[in-house]
Amino acid sequence: MAVTHLDLAADKQAAGSRFSRPEIVLFVLWGTFWLLMLAVAIQDYVRNGGRQVWQPILWEVTSLAVATFWVVLQRRVHRRYAAYLDRPLLWIGQHVKWLPLVVLTFVPAVYAIRHGVYALVGQAYTHEPWDEVLIYESIKLLLFCGLWVGLIYGFDSFAQAQEQRQRLFALQKSLAEAQLAQLKAQLRPHFFFNALNTISALMHVDVPRADRLLARLADLLRATLQWSDKEITSVREEIRMLELYAQIMQERFADRVTLAWNVDNAVLGGAIPALLLQPLLENAFKHGVERSRDAVRIEVAARRDSDRMHIAIRNTGSLLAADRHEGVGLRNCRERLTVLYGDAARLELTQLSDSVEAAVTLPWQEHRA
Amino acid sequence: MMRVLVADDEAPARGKLQRWLSEQPDVEVIAESEDGLHAAEAIEKLKPDVVFLDIQMPGLSGLEVAAQLEQATAPLIVFVTAFDEHAIKAFELNAIDYLLKPYDKDRLLKTLSRIRGRPADGSARAAVATARAQTQSHDRLLVPVGETLQLIDSATVEWLEASDNYVHVHTAARSYLLRRTLQDLLEQLGDRQFARIHKSAAVNIAAVKAFTPLFKGDYEVQLRNGKVLRLSRRFKEQLFGRMGR
Repeated sequence: MAVTHLDLAADKQAAGSRFSRPEIVLFVLWGTFWLLMLAVAIQDYVRNGGRQVWQPILWEVTSLAVATFWVVLQRRVHRRYAAYLDRPLLWIGQHVKWLPLVVLTFVPAVYAIRHGVYALVGQAYTHEPWDEVLIYESIKLLLFCGLWVGLIYGFDSFAQAQEQRQRLFALQKSLAEAQLAQLKAQLRPHFFFNALNTISALMHVDVPRADRLLARLADLLRATLQWSDKEITSVREEIRMLELYAQIMQERFADRVTLAWNVDNAVLGGAIPALLLQPLLENAFKHGVERSRDAVRIEVAARRDSDRMHIAIRNTGSLLAADRHEGVGLRNCRERLTVLYGDAARLELTQLSDSVEAAVTLPWQEHRA
Repeated sequence: MMRVLVADDEAPARGKLQRWLSEQPDVEVIAESEDGLHAAEAIEKLKPDVVFLDIQMPGLSGLEVAAQLEQATAPLIVFVTAFDEHAIKAFELNAIDYLLKPYDKDRLLKTLSRIRGRPADGSARAAVATARAQTQSHDRLLVPVGETLQLIDSATVEWLEASDNYVHVHTAARSYLLRRTLQDLLEQLGDRQFARIHKSAAVNIAAVKAFTPLFKGDYEVQLRNGKVLRLSRRFKEQLFGRMGR
């Protein structure tokens, strides 16, 4: 898992610029920090009566050069430690173990450069005795390292969290799309072939009815093709699809089913996941009508309640023991709601006194076409 | 004369078949069924030669109806379906007749002429066997209760007792009389749950309490309900092997 993760991140960066955005911010901060250090050093030098301003500049630049060397080195290998970002102590530990080497190389390197430059301009670089220098610089370096290791940790874990969030979002989106595709596949074959057979049977006895059914089927097919790519649709559209579907089913089971629509006009402009209700109505037909020899009444009701929308599909009959485990249709519905709305949406299947109700509650959102 | 039963839950679909079949001089549609259970009852009562059996029906599906029939005496079955990838694959594989909705008259006539040339026994057997393989037919058993049929959970069956071509199905609550051979019933129920103990009896393994040895290698089987049956040598090894003794 960690490996693919890193590879993906590396690929993404190779494709775009060489540095990620948090990394650029990090280097800008680094530069600003050193400009401040430089300004402070110069001010301090001048206030103490110094005349040769190049001296404090040299001191700071040498420190900057060696420190930058270490930071660049850290940036080059930081992916190696990305796996530890979730455990801060381990991540910091992995960095602290390099600290002795940093301290031991820093002081000799910095002082060697300074002595060299002083010698070149024919001056002598005077400073405290070496033991004092080593202690003083080490303490300064420790504070400095603590600050920057902490900052880098913050940046890296922020970058990683953002990447994970983006990936999760993409994953959820693809999941929702896959489910929509699956729903559509589920909807088509059985239903369409059965409807075609009904038309084929009807046209021998009732041509106008067969003709009407053929037109409804064409409407439904057209609508299916049209909204093919939309994840969210309007309640108006969704209800229209349900009506088309129900009209065709009613032709097939004319003697066994009656339908009632109680859809409040106020909800028609609301946004709803496409095909969310289709499986619920299909269930009402499948478990209500197709499993029962008695006449079944199916009711579709929708209303708005300030910031929420309630939709219920009821069919007379009872939840059979065998149906208690949720079918693919219902499970799909629930998963789509969770992916799209989190905890803000609900789907409940309940047994009322003489009927079964599938009730969906969604946050109200205006649909924008 | 070919006596035909048409089973489909959609009135227009039944009408279409009925009309076209009635045009045939050698075909008589003797009944129509609107659901699986009714179809099974009609098959039992009317003994049709051919059944056009829609797969998607309330109560019992067409496949479940076929799975509950006795292989040797089952009518010829033509499955009718709108879309059932798995089942259709199985039908193709076992040369079982089927019609895909919507079908035209030519297709129906072709099926009819194929049926006319069929030996009744072999293909009906294959249809029942395929239907059993496609459904959970070992979990449920269709039994007669008065004039009607009823589905019972096969786990409630304690033991089976054959007499001639009948089988007494004993559950804790009551017994049912099925006109089937023990052999055929055991084939349907599968050998995971039921085991034969002698020529004319089988037990639900879960209902067995103890075995007591008798002379000559025979045993007594004691059921949890107190009933004592005989286990013949012939079936002993097999049963003990399965019970891990």
